[in-house]
Amino acid sequence: MKKLLAWLLWLWISLVIVGAFLYAPLAKGFLGESSRILFFHVPMAWASFIGFIAAAVWSGRYLFGRRDPRHDRAAAVAIELGLVFGVFATVTGALWARIMWGAYWNWDPRQISILISLLFYGAYLALRAAVDDRETRGRLSAAYALLGLVVTPFLFWIMPRITYSLHPEPVINAQGKVEMEARMSQVLYASGIGFTALFFWIHNLQCRIQALFDRRAAL
Amino acid sequence: MRRNTSTWGAEVAAVFAKEWRCEFRTRYSLNTLALFACTTLVVVSFSLGPLGVSRSQGTALLPVLLWIILLFSVAAGLPRAFVQEEETHTATALRLAATPSALFCGKLLYGLTLVFALEALVTPVYVAMTSFNVESPGLLIAVLAAGGYGLAVGSTLVAAIIAQARSKGTLFSVLAFPVLLPLLVLTVEVTRCAASGSAPDVALPQLLLYDAVVTVAGLMLFPVVWNP
Repeated sequence: MKKLLAWLLWLWISLVIVGAFLYAPLAKGFLGESSRILFFHVPMAWASFIGFIAAAVWSGRYLFGRRDPRHDRAAAVAIELGLVFGVFATVTGALWARIMWGAYWNWDPRQISILISLLFYGAYLALRAAVDDRETRGRLSAAYALLGLVVTPFLFWIMPRITYSLHPEPVINAQGKVEMEARMSQVLYASGIGFTALFFWIHNLQCRIQALFDRRAAL
Repeated sequence: MRRNTSTWGAEVAAVFAKEWRCEFRTRYSLNTLALFACTTLVVVSFSLGPLGVSRSQGTALLPVLLWIILLFSVAAGLPRAFVQEEETHTATALRLAATPSALFCGKLLYGLTLVFALEALVTPVYVAMTSFNVESPGLLIAVLAAGGYGLAVGSTLVAAIIAQARSKGTLFSVLAFPVLLPLLVLTVEVTRCAASGSAPDVALPQLLLYDAVVTVAGLMLFPVVWNP
């Protein structure tokens, strides 16, 4: 059953890739084919966001629950994956910025916000590496992850208000309307679902691997 | 165990008094903070040149430098608050003696007085040395108070986290800067408004919101960070 689901995921993502290049039309006002990066950039940013939120949920359950090591592991893995997807989202964004804005890095508010969030979660991993005792590590890093949940929203909220942003409107804009051609939004949502599933699939595998490592370390 | 407010207040006061008594024995934080701030001040003022910068450049540049000096001075002195308890093995006694929230508030008050003393020392000298033109001094004082509070509360919480880890010195900067960066963006913005005399539309309320949010997070997270 699990194997079948993994193959289904593979098929789904393949279809998304094909759809992004052959089925979806180009967006207006973008240079060349550059708008196609949307189908990968946005879902990766989304997966990274899911990772950080999920990590905060698992951290909260660890900290205020029964201190189950599984929750601690799940939080740490979610942040690692969130960082990976976050780096990919930043890199795809920078590639697109090179085409549209003329430079890979422009200190656009979005770029600053994601960079600082990545720094924050990088610091989370540094903190984990600096504590030997497993219980202390879980406790301290869970507290730090929850602190991140209250501090990082400020970035995404403040930055666009203080400096001018060239970043295209978020998928769902201020009016709550999706302004996109139907075929584009189909591919984008399919890609979003695909990347979310990909995130949880890798997360599950990685948690199981970590559990084995922990068991070996305990022997 | 339920304690009434008067003993809670007494605990906060006791922790605060103990911090300052310990501080006056060694004067470690005071000396580090004051000397660090003075050194950086001299470097900044010297590199800007005897004539300083033009007024328009100053409005853009000087608030950033001021807050960088304050941030790094805080990072040099404040992390000691909890590291010292672990190093001198007094943490366990403190865990028995005080409720976590009272301890957090006492340490926060100590950090706050330290930061305010630092700001009172640095800001006038900085304004004089760089000929920083401030149009609305009231707003500058407000942002120093709100920003200083944010620096103190953020660093106190992070200091409590790193006290139980290895390589505490470098770890503090790594953990605290991403937490304090949103605060710094806001304080620099409001300080710019104070310098140019314009109204700080959303930045000042957001700064106060940041202070409130981090305080609540600190009060909720500190007990679990502190007690094994």
